[in-house]
Amino acid sequence: MSRLRIAIQSKGRLQENSISFLKSQGLKFEINGRSLVTPCIDQEIDVLLLRNSDIPEYVHAGVAEFGIVGENVLQEKNTHVRILKKLGFGICRLVIAVPEDSPIQSVEDLEGERIATSYPKFLTKFLQEKGIHAAIIPISGSVEVTPELNLADAICDLVQTGSTLKAHGLKELVTILESEAVLIQSLHHTSESSFFS
Amino acid sequence: MSTLVTPEILRGTRDFLPEEMVKRNYVMNTIRAVFKSFGYGTIETPVIEYLSTLLGSYGEEGNKLLYRFEDNGGRQVALRYDQTVPFARLVAANHRELPMPFKRYEINRVWRADRPAKGRYREFYQCDVDIIGTESLVAEGEIAKVVYSVFTTLGFSNFLIKINSRRLINAILQSLGVPEGDQISIIRILDKIEKIGRSEIQKELAPFLDAKKSAELLDLILMKGSNQEKIQAVAKYGISEVAEFLDICADYEIPEKHLEFDLSLARGLDYYTGIICEVILPDIDIGSVCGGGRYDDLCGRFCKEKFSGMGVAFGFDRMVLALEELGLLKDIVTHTEVLVTYFSPETRQKSIFLVNLLQKEGIAAEIYFEPAKLQKQLKYADKKKIPFVIFCGPEEIQKHEVKIKMLKTGKEKTIPEHQLINYLQGFSGE
Repeated sequence: MSRLRIAIQSKGRLQENSISFLKSQGLKFEINGRSLVTPCIDQEIDVLLLRNSDIPEYVHAGVAEFGIVGENVLQEKNTHVRILKKLGFGICRLVIAVPEDSPIQSVEDLEGERIATSYPKFLTKFLQEKGIHAAIIPISGSVEVTPELNLADAICDLVQTGSTLKAHGLKELVTILESEAVLIQSLHHTSESSFFS
Repeated sequence: MSTLVTPEILRGTRDFLPEEMVKRNYVMNTIRAVFKSFGYGTIETPVIEYLSTLLGSYGEEGNKLLYRFEDNGGRQVALRYDQTVPFARLVAANHRELPMPFKRYEINRVWRADRPAKGRYREFYQCDVDIIGTESLVAEGEIAKVVYSVFTTLGFSNFLIKINSRRLINAILQSLGVPEGDQISIIRILDKIEKIGRSEIQKELAPFLDAKKSAELLDLILMKGSNQEKIQAVAKYGISEVAEFLDICADYEIPEKHLEFDLSLARGLDYYTGIICEVILPDIDIGSVCGGGRYDDLCGRFCKEKFSGMGVAFGFDRMVLALEELGLLKDIVTHTEVLVTYFSPETRQKSIFLVNLLQKEGIAAEIYFEPAKLQKQLKYADKKKIPFVIFCGPEEIQKHEVKIKMLKTGKEKTIPEHQLINYLQGFSGE
């Protein structure tokens, strides 16, 4: 009988709550900071610590049967996995934001403008659905600083409290995705082995 | 004093302007890509051949339509009439060097001195794909999958691949007492059924079959029903290749809704011996857009070795017409992505610099050749449907900026020059 593997963030917003959730489901383990594979005590279960963006692919490939990841990451990666349930933490929104004094007042005004984002695939889909054509500038981090450096006219970024936006003189134009942490399962596994049902 | 030559072309031939060529090339390249993905290479044969190679291959009618002449050396030559006979000649001459089974595609022009009419030209493209050197029905299956892939890749959703078997038709005729020598004549008559209707066909069959037998024949071949029902109805003739072929098509994941076993399908060419097929587009009144079948002896006229094969020809021009009619070609545009304007002789160097920069990054860019009024340059971009126009006048040069105009929306955007490539490469939408 092969061991069950569950993938969670190795570091980031969701890690603490993911660990609490798993423990609330009866898993017994302690993250020791050195190993990325944490075996559970007296259980045939391993907890895998992965980079956020790798979780969907590991679960899709069936390397881990389960994973906990934000819907924002799932949407951007667009991998085929089964979403078992929403977990009620890691709540955030993907928004398009512009400088306070920007002439861009509506989504339509984004036509022809530069939008910096770490979610180029999802943003492209959104713009295509709206029939808007803009220049997407892919940036992997610190997206909020791009308007003041004249690298972008708008940003598409993850927002929780909105304080980071405010700190950079940006205001929200529109929310394009509501996201929270979800428990995902690989399509390779049938529901007989479903641990969380 | 010189008189001008009238710039006319012969009836039945065509000139193609760039906009039309973009569409034709798109269709041709799409078809080519499908062929390549199945491992087909291509060959090419000369446009002019010895008359003796071609004469006699196409029947009485065909012979009259050959473009033939005597060349400067007194040789009797002719323009190729199709791709199959030159293909047969090439195989006869080269078969030891060719991998066997041999599969090839060919997309080239052929010439026939036909009477021009709608959809009928004197110079036109043939688009053939053939597998020779094997009698296996898997070859038929692959050809069917190639046909299916070509039509779906081009965007057709409603198309029907009709299939039948010459072996089966012959078995049916034999059971009705038709001597082997008459079978092909009856097949030629049956091929006209769509055009002239049942009662006319019955009249033409009279010399070969009595009224009762021809009624029996027509009832059978015109029967309606599912593919499986038809297979049951003809099981007693002992020809299983249609059923086997459909099984192979299922293995190739060709949806059954695109395959119709049509007992009335005959196809015009005499030399088919097994599975025959024809593709029609139910939504468009254009006739068949693809057809072909199994033949037993490709090179009979040229060598002793027998090569059995299976192939189809795509009606390229009809397919382009159909795609136009269905609106599937309206988004295919010209190749230039960016026009760099030429503001003045002083800024010429900058304009050429931008063209160099864009092309280095794989963006198709061109410069307007003269420092004409902006309106004129925009008109040029509009005519060529170039999506982006870049201004770089003295003001922009001074600030190290470029101004981009998007012709589709009319929107203008000024950005730092060093962001130009990222801007264009990140542009979402068409």
